Amino acid sequence: MHEVSYQPDTPYGMDRWMSRLRQCGSAGGALLALTVMCLVFALSTDTFLEVANLKNVAMQSTILLLVALPMTLIIMTEGLDLSIGAVLTLANVVLAMVAVSTGGIGLAFLAALAVGAAFGLLNGALVARLGIPPFVATLGTLGVAQGLALVATDGQSVVGIPDSLQFFYGGTWLGVPVPIWIAVVAYLVFHFVLYRTRFGAYIFALGGNREALTLAGVRARWYLVAVYVIGGVMAGVAALLLTSRISSGHPTAALGMEFDAIAAVAVGGTSFEKGKGWLLGTLFGVLSVGVLRNGLNLLGVSSAVQVSAIGLLVIAALMLDVLRGKHQ
Amino acid sequence: MNKTSKSSMRWAQVAIAVMGMCAAAASIAEGGERVAVFTKNQTNPFFQAVRLGADSAARQLDVKVTHYVPTKPDSIPEQMSQVEDVIIKKPDAIVFTPVDYKAMVPAVAKMNAAKIPVVDVTDRTQGGQFVAFVGASDYELGLETGKYLIQAMGGKGNVVVIEGVKGAITSVDRVRGFNDAAKQAPGIKVIASQPGNYQRLQALQVMENLMQSHPQIDGVFAANDAMASGVIEALEGANRKAQVVGINGSKEAIDAIKDGRLLATGDYNGFAQGCLAVMTAVRDLRKLPIKPEILFPAVVIDKNNYQPWETPVESRSCPTWEDAVKF
Amino acid sequence: MFCEESINEYGLPVFRMSFYLARYRDYFMNTTVKPSTLSSSAATVRSSTDLWNALPDAVRSVVLRLLVLGFLCFVLSLASDAFLTATNIVNVLRQAALLFLLASGVTLVVLTAGLDLSVGANVALSACLAATLLKSTGSIALTVSVGLGCGLLIGIVNGLLVAVVRIPPFIATYGMLWILHGITYWFMNGETIHGFPPAFRALGSGYYWGIPVPVFFMLIFLLAGVLFAQRTRWGQEIYAVGANPEAARLSGVPVKNRLILVYAVSGAMAGLASLIFLARLNSAEGDIGESLTLPAIAAVLIGGASLFGGVGSVFGTLIGALMLTLVLNGMNLLNIDASWQPVVTGVIVVLAVFLDKLTRKGDVR
Repeated sequence: MHEVSYQPDTPYGMDRWMSRLRQCGSAGGALLALTVMCLVFALSTDTFLEVANLKNVAMQSTILLLVALPMTLIIMTEGLDLSIGAVLTLANVVLAMVAVSTGGIGLAFLAALAVGAAFGLLNGALVARLGIPPFVATLGTLGVAQGLALVATDGQSVVGIPDSLQFFYGGTWLGVPVPIWIAVVAYLVFHFVLYRTRFGAYIFALGGNREALTLAGVRARWYLVAVYVIGGVMAGVAALLLTSRISSGHPTAALGMEFDAIAAVAVGGTSFEKGKGWLLGTLFGVLSVGVLRNGLNLLGVSSAVQVSAIGLLVIAALMLDVLRGKHQ
Repeated sequence: MNKTSKSSMRWAQVAIAVMGMCAAAASIAEGGERVAVFTKNQTNPFFQAVRLGADSAARQLDVKVTHYVPTKPDSIPEQMSQVEDVIIKKPDAIVFTPVDYKAMVPAVAKMNAAKIPVVDVTDRTQGGQFVAFVGASDYELGLETGKYLIQAMGGKGNVVVIEGVKGAITSVDRVRGFNDAAKQAPGIKVIASQPGNYQRLQALQVMENLMQSHPQIDGVFAANDAMASGVIEALEGANRKAQVVGINGSKEAIDAIKDGRLLATGDYNGFAQGCLAVMTAVRDLRKLPIKPEILFPAVVIDKNNYQPWETPVESRSCPTWEDAVKF
Repeated sequence: MFCEESINEYGLPVFRMSFYLARYRDYFMNTTVKPSTLSSSAATVRSSTDLWNALPDAVRSVVLRLLVLGFLCFVLSLASDAFLTATNIVNVLRQAALLFLLASGVTLVVLTAGLDLSVGANVALSACLAATLLKSTGSIALTVSVGLGCGLLIGIVNGLLVAVVRIPPFIATYGMLWILHGITYWFMNGETIHGFPPAFRALGSGYYWGIPVPVFFMLIFLLAGVLFAQRTRWGQEIYAVGANPEAARLSGVPVKNRLILVYAVSGAMAGLASLIFLARLNSAEGDIGESLTLPAIAAVLIGGASLFGGVGSVFGTLIGALMLTLVLNGMNLLNIDASWQPVVTGVIVVLAVFLDKLTRKGDVR
């Protein structure tokens, strides 16, 4: 009797998928937390699974996702960008002010991108050329951006935005809301760049072993600057969505969003130390925060409990990662 | 049709009519409506008073109130998200304090589009359709409290203004009211005007620093009571004296007035505003008459008339509708 | 397709961590802080530049900062005649004392290459609990122990999360920040507690021989902090853990215990700061302390501590706290629009670290 090797019933593709997922040390925290929360909210409210609500959650997460994607890259290079919330706010203010004075969006959007890129360049120069630790450098630029936003507006909202701007948050294209299009495109671009281009390879190396890059003759500094510039430019793009969402520019509109982004990235499994990055994890992290907030709002839970729940989510997700054997 | 079927038909008609009336009655039933109340933050005692007032009115009128407060104080995107989430739940009415009176207009537009009646409370939003506005006139408050201060100073001297949050409509209007009062008194000089962000510690430190550059300060106008407390601490710490006024009518301020450390405070009754806002919303749902604007009069509380404000917020009861419409 | 964390399909594999660590160990060993004695370099001192070059990094960084501080005071005294008055100096010292007490605990945490973002929320919760107890029992001793104890407990939890559960400090303390805020808001329910007995308020507003009580605390803890960090074995072990945890562990340092210790100290200092806060402001609300976290961290960074661990000093943090307070004081005196304050603070933080880079001997990142 010859041996019969046992073949699993699952088709080859599925098997490959499952083993890949298992290998993925980072698959734990965020995905598990997200699934559990969705189940809990679906069972405890009758409105969570409504299409309108799910659409809301997705749309509410887009701005954070646009900011968390470059943050993933920056964290992979063992850096941090604490200024991205303040830069987003400043870009929002600038976009609003230019839109109000010119009556159109084109120039305003370019101005916002320019502001974002300028601060990204500043961050990159401080970190890569002057060798200042990213925490410190971006803490500094945070203050500068925040102060500029306050000075430019004197604390007031900037209103009178042309209606055409509404399209970027409220409009739809082929039935899908515009912000979701923008978020999907951004995600795909980041995925492609990070995993399938030389640029992406260098970013991995920047975090894992910067010396190897320099030894290989690559100008590591420029790539480091580029990562921060990407962060600034994405803040400009996100400013378009934010301005459209609140139909105004406000000097405190997005302050503190960098911490949300960092938490989302960490919850998603990107480690601070090893140059490993998982974009999909960031997506899960962003959605986790969005779903948690949405679900708790639907349940009418008191704000104090919501605040604690967010902290618990962050810690629990990372604990899960550690328990699954992912060492920090 | 024979007789029996005709009579049964008639019974059926009567039954349907009765059921219809019951249904109609249920839809304007006295009870069970759901009201969503939005306030700015978790930490300012004023908004806690608004929430307590809303709860008190809810108990009286047998409606269910759910509170929505941003987890990040005064966060604009968060309040937008909460509005969107609440619209999904389709409450019967909304009582709304905008985190920013200009930036939240699109949120109100969404509520209008969803055909949910909205009552604006505390901060007058700059757009959108509201069933009513319930609040105080911050301008009047600033004006009256300012006049009281100026009178107590004898119409002359140096005054320092501690503003609230830059860009907040309450601060803008109160300071404007005070400045107008100051303009009417030629002997009064406003020597400095700095923001304290409605925060105690900030007001304390700002006052300490201002006392250094201005050796002679006779009066201080603080845009809210928390800042007034900070100012008093700074003055006492430096052993200097000045007349201080605040706005809120908080328990702390009343105690300070009793002790003679605070001159006066403007009555900014969050509890009553919350009460009346919910009452207005519910009356509108029940098709009872309402007033499109309830503006609380500007009352200055000083050592002569503070007694009614001594009861803690938790044990207060809502003003009756009849009293409210006299405003 | 989703799991290519460490391999890029373009073909450049990421090198192993050990290579990376080995290179870095060399960097850090060269710049670990030694006790504050003059450098053991045998170079003969021929001129003042030689003297300057012979000083170890730590001393140079402190001297530089003192010079900048002096320069700042000089400029401010020229710009405003209200600056150099006794009352103003006393004010500045008192304002800086609160910041310093908070930042000194954070310094120890930063020395281990960690971070404590929860100090502000710690202050809020400890203050609110202590205030409630003070109002209900009137016992100052109980209040003080509750305030300190609450801060200490929170610090220990932070330490456990970082050292035992091995969550990155940024995330662990950030999560704790939210949890603590939530507990505080729920506990306070939007109310304010005010009106404390004068004996307690003396902690914050009282004077002793003409010097405010908080300044006394500042001096006491400055001394304690410097002695602890530089002169005790525990202090040296903390520096070692920050510079290279692996090497420290191999040399027998109980790394986990030291980590828990630093977070516990940071928490206890937050508890102390909360008591001074209460005494000074005579009230407690749910949102106090929120505005203190970033300035505390900024003070630590301006003081010369490195986020990579192993570099920094409590005295440097004092200078950092003084610099921040002076700048804000100056801006108030000169009536500069408050909107510029974050800009100035941000620029100073970057400048301070940049200056360090220029003057350090070793090439520390």
